[in-house]
Amino acid sequence: MDKGEELLAQLSPGKSWEKRSDGWWLETRDMDVEKMAHLMTEAQARLVTITACEVSKGEFRIIYHWDLEGRMLNMVTMTDKGNISSIATIYPASDWMEREIHDYFAVQFNGRESLPLFLNPEDSPGIFLGYSQDDQKEEKGKER
Amino acid sequence: MSFTIPIGPYHPSLEEPFKLEVTCQGEVVQDAIMHVKFNFRGVEWLAQRRNYSQAIVLAERICGICSNLHTLTFCRAVEQLAGLSVPTRAEYIRVIIAELERLTSHALWAGIAAEIIGFQTMFMTCFSVRERLMDVLEIISGNRVHYAMNCIGGVNREISNPDAVLDIVKWTRQQIENKLIPIFTTDRTIRARCIGIGVLTKEEAIKWGVVGPTARASGISVDIRRSDPYAAYDQLEFKVPVETSGDVFSRVVVRLLEMVESCRMIEQAFKQMPPGPIRGPEFVEVPPGETVARSEAPRGEAFYYVASDGSDVPLRVKIRTPSLVNMPVVRLMVLGANLADVPLINASIDPCYSCTSR
Repeated sequence: MDKGEELLAQLSPGKSWEKRSDGWWLETRDMDVEKMAHLMTEAQARLVTITACEVSKGEFRIIYHWDLEGRMLNMVTMTDKGNISSIATIYPASDWMEREIHDYFAVQFNGRESLPLFLNPEDSPGIFLGYSQDDQKEEKGKER
Repeated sequence: MSFTIPIGPYHPSLEEPFKLEVTCQGEVVQDAIMHVKFNFRGVEWLAQRRNYSQAIVLAERICGICSNLHTLTFCRAVEQLAGLSVPTRAEYIRVIIAELERLTSHALWAGIAAEIIGFQTMFMTCFSVRERLMDVLEIISGNRVHYAMNCIGGVNREISNPDAVLDIVKWTRQQIENKLIPIFTTDRTIRARCIGIGVLTKEEAIKWGVVGPTARASGISVDIRRSDPYAAYDQLEFKVPVETSGDVFSRVVVRLLEMVESCRMIEQAFKQMPPGPIRGPEFVEVPPGETVARSEAPRGEAFYYVASDGSDVPLRVKIRTPSLVNMPVVRLMVLGANLADVPLINASIDPCYSCTSR
């Protein structure tokens, strides 16, 4: 077991991860993201970015993309009613990434104040909302 | 008494849409807040409403300097999803264009840095180098900014006149080695303005996940071309310049040395490039799935996440540009600095607001 696999095993005991050509992928619905951030920071991994996908109304898939010695570790989890813990105090580089997601999807990162990054203070967050992946599939199905 | 000075948006010290609110005690910077919202275009939203071919055109317009890098990374992500392999010749052509783009980008940056320092002659020298490089890209692609070289499965055009390209690359290398490096590293004014200014320590650079020349100038040897090679980079011999001082001068040196390496890589690529096709099938089906791809842009690692539902329109496109992770550290670099050095420190990370705001 190498360093990346050891980290994944610690983070999600008993669960399997997938090794693909673009890196490792681990999907856990209720991932402890703060524990993940601590583990990855201690392992000197670099957070490349965080991706949010609106799966259905109010449900978001959150992917933390880490670089560990040149390999990608993609850790996937879900929000709980649009909420997820912030890792900005553990890994400062996530500050702008979380603020960007808050602007786009109004995902609430608990434990921090999400100041707008691209929006004006008076604008409401969630400018990309209302076109979830379920909506997209339905729309494309009608076109066909 | 402390006072706050707004630098930007659209400030003469760096004509780009950003705002840095600098709080000073006398001439010394105590705090700074960066605002980057002025050029927001919602490119990710748009990409999810275009088909894959249209999304390439859109990705190219994210940036006017590293446009090729965006199409390259997007195409690589789609190729991974579709399970397409790219012809070897196309992989070499991708390297040549990417390195020419790096050269134009670094030459532009060096010119702007010289202008901010107040060295107008050096600004003109750098831009004369860049002009020839843009001519090369025009010879190859017919375009000086958006080269439209990448397509899903390869590249759109052959390099029909390699000798003309190599002549200008050779001339560029001479200019870098005989003019840019000696002047930038020995001129007293440049050294006085750059050495010990805007320091980012290695620890801070790691903590903030900094990438590209900004990270390499702080002692972090991070380069996607080396750590996670793509295109034909694993077939080329090149150095990754790393400096340890973390100041503006280190960022200057790293970029200048990278320019020499880019010239070497282009020369090697032309020698090693085999004959053969340059692209795969005309129409590509993208099955359902998700993937990530990243490439080393002139400013550092660029990242794309692409998800597909099997239709011709991406389900999700996420783009993380290098400037987005490099810009927050400007605050750390300017703390305790002299107000007059702030524009140069800010420019030293080669910030791209167009990329950042997307």
